[in-house]
Amino acid sequence: MKVLSLPPHRRHEALVGYLFIAPYIVLFVAFVLVPVVWGFFISLHNWHVLGEQKPFVGLANYRALLKDDLFGIALLNTGYFALLTVIPGNVVSLLLALGLNARIRGEDVYKAIFYLPVILSVAVVAIIWRWMYSTEFGLLNYYLKVVWEFLRLPGEFQPVPWLNSPQSAMPSLALMSIWWGAGGNMLIYLAGLRAIPEEYYEAARIDGAGGWARFWHITLPLLRPSLLFCLVMSLIGSSQVFGQSYILTGGGPHYSTLTVVLYMYQTGFSLYRMGYACAVAYIMFAIVLVFTLLQFRLLSARQEE
Amino acid sequence: MRWRFSPARFLLYLLMTFAAILFLMPVAWMLVMSILPEHEIFQPVPHWIPQEPTLQNFQELFKRAEEAPVLRWFFNSVFVAGTGTICYLLLTSMAAYAFSRLQFPGRNVLFFIVISTLIIPGQVTIIPVFLLLQKLHWFNTYYALIVPGLAGAFGVFLLRQFFLTIPKELEEAALIDGCGRAGIYWRVILPLGKPALATLAIFSFLGGWNDFMLPLIATNEIEMRTLPVGLTIFLGRYSMQYGLVMATAVIATLPVLVMFLLFQRHIIRGVVLTGLKG
Repeated sequence: MKVLSLPPHRRHEALVGYLFIAPYIVLFVAFVLVPVVWGFFISLHNWHVLGEQKPFVGLANYRALLKDDLFGIALLNTGYFALLTVIPGNVVSLLLALGLNARIRGEDVYKAIFYLPVILSVAVVAIIWRWMYSTEFGLLNYYLKVVWEFLRLPGEFQPVPWLNSPQSAMPSLALMSIWWGAGGNMLIYLAGLRAIPEEYYEAARIDGAGGWARFWHITLPLLRPSLLFCLVMSLIGSSQVFGQSYILTGGGPHYSTLTVVLYMYQTGFSLYRMGYACAVAYIMFAIVLVFTLLQFRLLSARQEE
Repeated sequence: MRWRFSPARFLLYLLMTFAAILFLMPVAWMLVMSILPEHEIFQPVPHWIPQEPTLQNFQELFKRAEEAPVLRWFFNSVFVAGTGTICYLLLTSMAAYAFSRLQFPGRNVLFFIVISTLIIPGQVTIIPVFLLLQKLHWFNTYYALIVPGLAGAFGVFLLRQFFLTIPKELEEAALIDGCGRAGIYWRVILPLGKPALATLAIFSFLGGWNDFMLPLIATNEIEMRTLPVGLTIFLGRYSMQYGLVMATAVIATLPVLVMFLLFQRHIIRGVVLTGLKG
């Protein structure tokens, strides 16, 4: 043993060190390390909760998933949700940060208002927006109608069915999610903007660069680390979307909001097919891992420049 | 700064205020709806200023304690998030102290294993965690709601980074004065680590209060639900009684809202420092 070969005072320090990490490490092993390995093991079995036997089936669950139409739909829907939230959401965050960066009065108040939705639980967010999206009594349709009539647009205003039609359900969940999360990335962008030295802008101004030119040639390139970080984190976050569709739509209408994690939840906790559900979880993990490694590469490439 | 009028700045304020109204509207509407009487909710024109503000929605809630024990859910949420936060701070600060200050074989390997799990999404392990909770006979207990959350690596990472910035000389002085390692941890590291501990405490409480997936799978008795999951049950039962549903949502929001208003600066700085989004 390495510990025993240490000089006495070192040996004492090592023992104290082990004692200090022990309580955390026990929980870490039990609730992180073991579940990660065990989850993969389960995915290789036909593991029904109530079943007496849980036979080993190799990669059969993964092969079945490749042919599973619902899983295909869930993957596509999750990709669609990411498409609808990642770039539009980051544009909103960046615009808000740019506005805040213009040294406005009451900056702290604006900042707090934009960040406020982030502290809410997904359940509270869903309940508020279920009412916002109500076809008959919702605030959104009410104000859209007001704007419609104010602008004297042709014809009668047709209420948007928001969560009730397969075409608009996912975009509605995306809009709600952008509102919920924009404040977080906004703060990161604002910190990035504040870190750009003022001299760069002054030099550009002397050279006659206009507002757009300064934004394209100074702000955006110098904001690259923040942009990469936020975009990839949003991508990872959106690939795990669950609560929104679980609470508001249950995956419907017509599977239009069935996401990967919701599908995992349903196969695991409604159908009790734990092996199959774990296979779904591991495919999601693989996808997230690709994004994470991509981020590491992009960020370290940046540092080497 | 002197106030000078310029059209561009005027437009900026206009746009920012418009955005602020849009962002605030859903939350404000939840608060208003919770004090609207039933007949004012289903109106073609929204009643932003209630004609007859009432607390009847909140009173009504407590009459339904049998089917929807909102007070019990509130207690569960406070207890789970509060106890969880205290335990998490204690466990992770001890581990972070050892990882940042003590020499022992295997230290770097262990630390690397711990932080590399930061990239694993929680949903990946939720099924094995569920099966484990069943094996431990913890299903429907507070252990199931609290303990799995204590294993997350983020706190260890955050606190270790902070503890590394505390000057070593302070510790050496304490050692010479005859202070043991435990004494240093308790009397030097913890007091000096307060800013990082406070940030971690706030985010850990918010995380515990708002967590949805773990309480959803770790409990099925109505008495053991926390507020977020209770809310969805409530929504299923009283889907059309919107005043009641909104009153419950307000109860689930007020504690974190107050916390946000009190610790706003701290939270905003924490997000920037840790790149973490609530």
